[in-house]
Amino acid sequence: MSVIDPRIHQVLDGELAAEAVPAELRPAVAQLAAAAELLAAPPPGPVVSLESRVMAEIRRPAPSRARRMMRWLVTPYAIILRVRPAWSVAFAAVVAALTLFTAGDQGPELAEHEGIAQFVGRFPDAQSVHVVGTFNDWRPGSIALEDQDHDGVWRASVVLPAGTYEYMFVVDGERWVPDHLAERLVADDFGRENSIVIVRPARR
Amino acid sequence: MTRWVGLALSAFLALPLPAQSVRGRLEGRIPSTAIPAVDSLIQFASQEGLPTEPLIQKALEGGAKHVAGPRIVAAVQLSLGQLRDARDLLVRAGDQPPVLPAEMTTVAWALRRGLPAPVVERVVAAVPRPPRATALHAVADLVAHRFDPDSAAQLIIDAVRAGVPRERLLDVSTAALQQVQRGHTQAEALAIVRQQLPNVPAPARPTRGNVAGARRPAAPVPP
Repeated sequence: MSVIDPRIHQVLDGELAAEAVPAELRPAVAQLAAAAELLAAPPPGPVVSLESRVMAEIRRPAPSRARRMMRWLVTPYAIILRVRPAWSVAFAAVVAALTLFTAGDQGPELAEHEGIAQFVGRFPDAQSVHVVGTFNDWRPGSIALEDQDHDGVWRASVVLPAGTYEYMFVVDGERWVPDHLAERLVADDFGRENSIVIVRPARR
Repeated sequence: MTRWVGLALSAFLALPLPAQSVRGRLEGRIPSTAIPAVDSLIQFASQEGLPTEPLIQKALEGGAKHVAGPRIVAAVQLSLGQLRDARDLLVRAGDQPPVLPAEMTTVAWALRRGLPAPVVERVVAAVPRPPRATALHAVADLVAHRFDPDSAAQLIIDAVRAGVPRERLLDVSTAALQQVQRGHTQAEALAIVRQQLPNVPAPARPTRGNVAGARRPAAPVPP
């Protein structure tokens, strides 16, 4: 920050004649004097008093409701939220959980006459398990059971038209096994037993 | 040449529709030597107004299980006999011919599940058409768990008369089985459930996970 020589202040205050200051200070004195004259001069154009300006503002017609609404919409406002970090972490966890559990695969849309057959079998040493029956023309390999957690329990959920079906499991592509968890069994006329599943319509 | 093609085409079109579709479904699925015999059995069934799908399924089942051709033919013949027995039973019970194929399939299933013919006839006579299949399965479920067939049939008939909806009849038999699991005798279980009619415990709904993971088979066959 530059400091103005006190002799310049004395000249500007009229306490000292301009010629009394040294020659090197005279240009600065002249500049400051010109600036002071500019500030002291009245503003250009007609002079409007504060009172008349206030009254003009009061008399101006009120803007329409739409205009006020538009002004409110485009005017920036500062919004301050005071949130504890623990609550914001909890909120984020809830949003993440909802996203994970609700936005996943919703499964097939079931028609009015359709239901879901659940097939479960325990085959600890199996490499593959399929369910074969009257619902797939006894075609091996078309509906595979899965053992996702490798605990030996194989599962499949299949959408079928409501009705009664006979079926068996085919383990490792060659071993035909009835579903021992199914309570309904019937002789297959080939020396073994088929399991029976009754599919009820899911929408009732 | 054109004449022969025309004759062959006429002969093909003259065949009944089931015969055309059946051979296509059987070829490559059962031993070729068994196809003519199975095909003629299916033609007999079609001419008699019997359902053919159970016979086709039996043949396909035998082929999938790598059963020899003669045994497949024998099994299909046995199934044909069961369907004829079912039709005769339905007529005896009061159904007017022609009997519906679905009814014959249902009754044949009940007989295969071990229900005595008189009990099946009694249920058929007492229960109107829509809930018959479920009613017979409900009785068969009880008989499979050593309930007296006549008493089991009476409970299900009572349930129908009490207004239990068709889709809830299996819950009636399930409720009786649960009473046995709680330590009651079969007779006590039937009495307890009969007192509760028409209220029966609701079945378990499929879980969200099971619905979400469900798949459709490539070509489901209507039952």
